[in-house]
Amino acid sequence: MSLLRVENVTAGYGVGPDILAGISFTVEVGKTYCIIGPNGAGKSTLLKTICGLLRPRDGKVVYMGEDISHLRPDQILMRGICLVPQERGLFPDMTVRENLVMGGYIIKDREILEHGINQVFNIFPILKERGSQRAKTLSGGEQQMLAMARALMLKPELLMIDEPSLGLAPKLAREIFDTIRSFKELGMTVLIVEQNARKGLAVSDWGYVLDLGRERFEGKASEILADERIQELYLGKK
Amino acid sequence: MTQFFQVVILGLSLGGIYALMATGLTLIFGVMRIINLAHGVFMLFAAYITLLLFNNFQIDPILSILITMPLMFFLGVGIYKTLFPRIIDSPRYMEMTILLAFGLAMIVEGGLGFFFTGIYRSVNPSYAIEIFQFGTFYIPKAQLFGTLVSILLLGLLWALLNYTRIGYAVRATMQNRAAAQIVGVNVERVSTIAFGLGMALAGAAGSLLSVLFTFFPAKHWQWIAILMSLIVLGGLGSLMGAFTGALLLAVAAALVSHYLGPTWQPITFFLALFLVLLIKPEGLFGKKMEEG
Repeated sequence: MSLLRVENVTAGYGVGPDILAGISFTVEVGKTYCIIGPNGAGKSTLLKTICGLLRPRDGKVVYMGEDISHLRPDQILMRGICLVPQERGLFPDMTVRENLVMGGYIIKDREILEHGINQVFNIFPILKERGSQRAKTLSGGEQQMLAMARALMLKPELLMIDEPSLGLAPKLAREIFDTIRSFKELGMTVLIVEQNARKGLAVSDWGYVLDLGRERFEGKASEILADERIQELYLGKK
Repeated sequence: MTQFFQVVILGLSLGGIYALMATGLTLIFGVMRIINLAHGVFMLFAAYITLLLFNNFQIDPILSILITMPLMFFLGVGIYKTLFPRIIDSPRYMEMTILLAFGLAMIVEGGLGFFFTGIYRSVNPSYAIEIFQFGTFYIPKAQLFGTLVSILLLGLLWALLNYTRIGYAVRATMQNRAAAQIVGVNVERVSTIAFGLGMALAGAAGSLLSVLFTFFPAKHWQWIAILMSLIVLGGLGSLMGAFTGALLLAVAAALVSHYLGPTWQPITFFLALFLVLLIKPEGLFGKKMEEG
């Protein structure tokens, strides 16, 4: 069953040019997707458009059969789409715990909120230890974990992660990708955008190659990884 | 030495009130990136309301905070909703808000001048001229009451920000507006409430000001200049900074006034403003300015 369909979406910022120039793709339940492409291809813009931070100029975003292109970000969040933004998007002067509370901001029931925090602490025990520390004092890897943990507070149907390995040392990046792989085991649908295309595709089922606001190629992640043309154009030589 | 401490005490007892004034301004800046040049004139607006309440109904100026705060809150909500959403998408948002606030200040100043004329006013309850004596030191009663009320209000604000859902949303929006949106905060609603809160603080500050200082409509330019120096010293948008900046400069101004003469007092603030911008433009507690 398709969870999300992006249909012919065109989008851009302010009065600027189109960053997305008519994109269409489909996300199926329970799979992991990776969008790759060079800088400026519109990868982050696509995620922002899906979660409502940016309104599409044309086309629509359909989620579980409902057109969500004109909903507010909080309304889209309520339907189960969470974004972990680039550079984490944490609240630097709030504690780890307060950041998690903010992750569950739209949950009004205190008990459910507390329960959610405990569950997230079980997945990321290190965050429990750091509970009363301010987010800005965490290491890069811990910050990325906190950002993902915060998104998990709402138990999203669709989790979108923008550049999870950005600025992380290889070992930490590997840990983050392992965590992403474990989300799949939990049955979550995950959509990641990743500069490090090889790593991103390695944890994904399906890949999209985006360039200059258009889709260039899509296919099984393993096939993309093996395709010589794509390797040359978008993955960089080994 | 006794005299030095006496001056410091007097400075501190004004510092609390400065902190109250500066907090409203920095709260509005922190949440909405609006430099509200009309903050000073709205303090005076509340001071005139306090004057009316005192002259006509003998309501104590400090008690009248219970009236001026909610009044200014709703006025703030109304002003924000009417004027600001229509420019929020403009790429020149920040510049436009400054001009808008400036225009607003001119209009309110004109209105106050029309209704109350330009003569010097102050509200004079019986305790306005009394002092508390302890040992060799003294504090004017009005200043002590004013500072205690200010600290109480700032404490309430602190509790609101740290223990309520809306408080969390306000802090999150101040720290990372885009991320606040991502977690589902309706930032427009938070902005409206924060603007109202900032104005409510201006209202409380105005009621206190009416007892402690003389005022006339154009006086607000001097006030906003002082407040700008306080929040720049503390770091724009930092609540802790506004508080610290206010106490530091209030004491500094009192010392300058005592040892160099009252004519030099205003220059303390502006000298501090220049020095901060020259040496540490982000202020004591501020973040380095981001682009945009």
